[in-house]
Amino acid sequence: MFWRIFRQLLRASRGRLTVALIALSSGSAISSALLNINLDAEQKLRHEFRTLGANVVVAPPSAGSDAALADASIMDRIGIGSPQMIAAAPYLYVAANAGAQPVILAGTWFDQVAKMNSWWKVDGAWVTSRDDSSHCLVGQAAAHQFGLAPGSHIELRAGERKVSLTASGIITAGSDEDTQIFTSLEVAQNLAGLPGRVSLVQLSVSGTPSEIDAFTSRLAGALPGLDVRPVRKLAAAEGSILGRIRGLIFWTITLILILTTLGVLASMAALAMERSRDVGLMKALGGSVQRIMRLFLAEAAALGVLGGTIGFAIGVVLARWIGGRVFGVAISPRLAVFPATIILAVGVALLGALPLRLLGRVRPAEILRGE
Amino acid sequence: MTPLVQVENLEKRFDAVRALHGVSFEVEAGEWIAIMGPSGSGKTTLINILGGLDHPTSGRVVVDGMEIGELSERELTRYRSDKIGFVFQQFHLVPYLTALENVMLAQYFHSITDEKEAAEALRRVGLEDRLEHLPAQLSGGEQQRVAIARALINHPKLILADEPTGNLDEENEATILKLLHELHSAGHTILVVTHSQAIGNLADRRVELEHGRLARITLPVR
Ligand SMILES: Nc1ncnc2c1ncn2[C@@H]1O[C@H](COP(=O)(O)OP(=O)(O)OP(=O)(O)O)[C@@H](O)[C@H]1O
Ligand SMILES: [Mg+2]
Repeated sequence: MFWRIFRQLLRASRGRLTVALIALSSGSAISSALLNINLDAEQKLRHEFRTLGANVVVAPPSAGSDAALADASIMDRIGIGSPQMIAAAPYLYVAANAGAQPVILAGTWFDQVAKMNSWWKVDGAWVTSRDDSSHCLVGQAAAHQFGLAPGSHIELRAGERKVSLTASGIITAGSDEDTQIFTSLEVAQNLAGLPGRVSLVQLSVSGTPSEIDAFTSRLAGALPGLDVRPVRKLAAAEGSILGRIRGLIFWTITLILILTTLGVLASMAALAMERSRDVGLMKALGGSVQRIMRLFLAEAAALGVLGGTIGFAIGVVLARWIGGRVFGVAISPRLAVFPATIILAVGVALLGALPLRLLGRVRPAEILRGE
Repeated sequence: MTPLVQVENLEKRFDAVRALHGVSFEVEAGEWIAIMGPSGSGKTTLINILGGLDHPTSGRVVVDGMEIGELSERELTRYRSDKIGFVFQQFHLVPYLTALENVMLAQYFHSITDEKEAAEALRRVGLEDRLEHLPAQLSGGEQQRVAIARALINHPKLILADEPTGNLDEENEATILKLLHELHSAGHTILVVTHSQAIGNLADRRVELEHGRLARITLPVR
């Protein structure tokens, strides 16, 4: 009989229940999409972050000394062919002067720097050719210091040697690089009088943390006598960004669930008004509050399961769309999100069914007396 | 033999309004009592207290050995499903349940449902071909007959009817009266609130209320 009443109850209230179901489904859709993104995008974003800047550095063992020991031929030995390697850039750092003031010159391969640091903000233009010896990129702090703009000329000196370059672009990296001037490797080597030398090599390697560790130790084995180490600073920054995304997603879901609850509450309050007479009657007929409430709770739970299921399905599509739009990665559906969505939807539905639970207090004498 | 219903010095107040005061009477098992009186004299209030829908303010109400004023909310619920069959002026069927399901609902709240028995109860009130109809698809008289079938289904000690024919035309009133008469003959105890002299005259005794007081108990004029 329970299910018989239950069925008739659902049929009788299908209008209001549909409204509540729409609220639940949309709330669950957004929540499950965000949960899915949180689970799936995290890993994909880690990969994405790898393409942002170097995460492995190869340097001479006496780290800290600026002795330019590693031979330029090291680039061949690193083996740029590995599919995990996104970019590799040799660097030679030279202490130079612009006018009377000192500045750090970073000689490197322009094409690899651009590939590795594509997120740098560039005012003007990148230098595209690896060996361009007439242009340079200037960090924004250095540009400010020397009053440089794209197209400005600058003369750099190191001891007796000097070179004259045109600033192609002003870069903003948000780190030490902002104080440096980037030239081609050859320009720096000539200026320093260290032909064929580099200070270190920066690598951008893709993969999960353990894949990167494996790559690093393989490389260390292939380069005896050199220091191969991951760049921790960037990894930590990544973690904090992912943490913030996670926080954002958590609070967004919380907010959406609150709004969904309000939506469900609204239609349930209307439903409770409509049902107060029937509840009064059922109580008059000897129906216990628990029996009557069990009907309404089952109704809310069913609504939650249905809304959660619909929401999950829509959420998968939504996650894919958001993933493509916002993060530029394809989000694949995660099954773990399904039970989580159902639990959230059922919770919201039960919470939203509060007005129905209050019907338990209805006094039958008063209800039945009124017309 | 102790009477089935004992009302002693019953008082019921709604804030300042004294709906009942100093009401005492007894009802023997198997009696048919008509409760009469002008509008506002406390008839519905009396029926509600006897049916366990409302608490007396003071006084004693004993039905089938149970003192109603002392029952908890939970016990009152049990009392209503076990001992009382209600028939209301506005029929009060659950609108989204069929005639059959409305009767089965009372079975469900009482103990377990028995579809055959519920159908048989509807057959007895002449509704064997209306089992699957919703209340909205039934005439007023038919709805009231469903309500009577529902009131009887759990074999209550006491049938309480508050103006059961108040919303019906004469023809339907006659049908309901005939049913009440049959119930009375079958030994049921019936308390029916009515404005109708006709019903009042069919009853064994008439309890007349005025301004919440028991005015008189009269025997019908036949
Ligand atoms: N819940 C309530 N709150 C306040 N006053 C009430 C309440 N219920 C009944 N009353 C008052 O108690 C008195 C008796 O009411 P009751 O409904 O018992 O009269 P009645 O005899 O059934 O009248 P009618 O023939 O019109 O149905 C009335 O004055 C009514 O206004
Ligand atoms: Mg009344």
